Amino acid sequence: MVLLAAPAVAADDKLYQVADGNKVDKATLEGWRTWRALACERCHGAKQEGLVGPSLLESLRRLTKDEFKQTLMKGRPEKGMPNFDGSKMVTENLDGLYAYLKGRSDGAIQPGRLEELK
Amino acid sequence: MATKFAYTWSALLGFALVPGAALGNDDVIKNTQASGNWAMQAGNMHNHRYSALKQISRENVKDLRVAWQFSTGVLRGHEGGPLVIGDMLYIHSPFPNKVFAIGLADQQIKWKYEPKQDPTVIPVMCCDTVNRGLAFAEGKIFLQQADTMLVALDAKTGKELWKVKNGDPKKGETNTNAPHVFKNKVITGISGGEFGVRGYVAAYDINTGKQVWKAYSTGPDAEMLMDPDKTMTWTDGKMAPVGKDSSLKSWEGDQWKIGGGTTWGWYSYDPKTNLMYYGSGNPSTWNPVQRPGDNKWSMTIWARDVDTGQAKWVYQMTPHDEWDFDGVNEMILADGINVKGKPRNVVVHFDRNGFAYTLDRNTGELLVAQKYDPQVNWATHVDMKTGRPQVVAKYSTQAQGQDVNAKGICPAALGTKDQQPAAYNPTNKLFYVPTNHVCMDYEPFKVEYTAGQPYVGATLSMFPAPGSHGGMGNFIVWDAGAGKIVKSKAEKFSVWSGALVTAGGLACYGTLEGYVKCVDANDISKELYKFKTPSGIIGNLNTWEFKGKQYIGVLSGIGGWAGIGLAAGLEKDTDGLGAVGGYRELNKFTELGGVLTVFSLP
Repeated sequence: MVLLAAPAVAADDKLYQVADGNKVDKATLEGWRTWRALACERCHGAKQEGLVGPSLLESLRRLTKDEFKQTLMKGRPEKGMPNFDGSKMVTENLDGLYAYLKGRSDGAIQPGRLEELK
Repeated sequence: MATKFAYTWSALLGFALVPGAALGNDDVIKNTQASGNWAMQAGNMHNHRYSALKQISRENVKDLRVAWQFSTGVLRGHEGGPLVIGDMLYIHSPFPNKVFAIGLADQQIKWKYEPKQDPTVIPVMCCDTVNRGLAFAEGKIFLQQADTMLVALDAKTGKELWKVKNGDPKKGETNTNAPHVFKNKVITGISGGEFGVRGYVAAYDINTGKQVWKAYSTGPDAEMLMDPDKTMTWTDGKMAPVGKDSSLKSWEGDQWKIGGGTTWGWYSYDPKTNLMYYGSGNPSTWNPVQRPGDNKWSMTIWARDVDTGQAKWVYQMTPHDEWDFDGVNEMILADGINVKGKPRNVVVHFDRNGFAYTLDRNTGELLVAQKYDPQVNWATHVDMKTGRPQVVAKYSTQAQGQDVNAKGICPAALGTKDQQPAAYNPTNKLFYVPTNHVCMDYEPFKVEYTAGQPYVGATLSMFPAPGSHGGMGNFIVWDAGAGKIVKSKAEKFSVWSGALVTAGGLACYGTLEGYVKCVDANDISKELYKFKTPSGIIGNLNTWEFKGKQYIGVLSGIGGWAGIGLAAGLEKDTDGLGAVGGYRELNKFTELGGVLTVFSLP
């Protein structure tokens, strides 16, 4: 079990890189840009705190990565969540978007504009 | 009261009042003989929201009490209001767009209609799943569903008579607007400016649902039903033909095909000119850098012949929009407005961009364009010769550029006023206007278009107008001939409710906290009545008479753009707290839930 868990922890560590709260690795930056381009804040709030849609700060603590991807791709139309499987930007940046939101949920990434970590 | 009914219905019927006219609106005429109806969303075709009823007056309004209430059983934003024809009241809900027919004598549900709609329509509705209400004509109720289905119901039984699909939600096309019946047509528009929809209005035969005409806001002349030689616009201080390809020339490439100009507001109709008036919304995307040109004819006041759909004149208020100042707000028709000493028959429009426009409604001449909130700063003024706003570079999101946060722009994207319709009092010729008092930071960024996906391209942060009273709204009285605020009453939140003005000397409106307020129409600072409804009010106040008693009715049910509190902090955690914080404070006052509240005197 320990052996199996160790790589998972390592993978989590690499999920995103962040410095000063607003400088992130390229993939995570693209994740933020995807969040912005698809206007996710209209429902989930500028700081992912939840408006008409749920708080992603909360949801990302609960959802597995697979559940997250499933929700993005298929949507939850009856609740107002669109399916984004038709969006090239989302399908290409799904991992980065997950990393960004996970970083927000962890409190490691601050809300608002991000820059690339050099 | 008889005055009110004659007033409303003479406007409604127009030529049909002539005996033996081809349109035998016998049923409608009979209905009108029961006085005190509220038979259109705005009370009449001129969009007045005025009632000649005066039983409830400035003297006795303090005694107003709740007569009855009715839950729609639906959460989310409740816009629009009840229709009353004879002894029946018709009320609608947001998605799933239920319709209830309620008998006024016993307040029983006589019939109920609930369409089956694909829930995938919900995510493509921009700013909540609102619906602005029903229309009534010739014994039929017309419902414009969210999924774009336009339905005619038998007003007695609720039975479907016909239905027709007006758009395609898979492309982001949805409907929130009320249908409008002018002559023998039911006219509707389209929403989806944030999804790259190409806006249009369409007219359907009220008896068959057959499409009679459809006119786009952008594109080739023929598809806009625009005649290059006969459709006129304000040019160098006079009216001149728009010329060939007036829209195509004002866009780069094919951007006009996904260029917005949607049409979800309140239309009006003048039987004398046979013209209908409406506004088109923002060009898509919200990033101005991606769409060089004037982006005609987004952000435009349109006058169209109701029989053919042909555009008689157009006036673009905000060429090359950089702030999401949709031009869809109500078009109010007023007669004998004194402009520079001359009585004019005009169309008055309070635009999202913070200017109130007065135009000759027959010719389209620009008469007055003045700020109706002194905080408006994105333009210094409208040049009366060119008709163009004089944009301030500091507040130009185009000049500031992509990925730059332009700060302190007034008004915010939701405008000095959004769709919440104003009222016009024909006895004193003044306008009673519910307004927003909110400013914004706006950062445009590049976006790619994908059909059915959001196509916005700007991050916004909104906050109460700085250096003012701290509130986010005002209720004002406006002189449309002089272009001046007569009186302004501060409100804590945006006044997102349609106003009502009555011969009883009252102006009434709702607030986002949930209050119904009635003020003295002669001095709106005098608050004469206040009642807390179960939820925040974004619906419109309507009034009617039944069995000798006057009633006032309104939907409460917070939601819509203001209720969602759209705001996006950009730079620091604290940025954007104004709007989020401001509107969030609504949590202290109200929760979701749709209820119709009806008031009367004891």
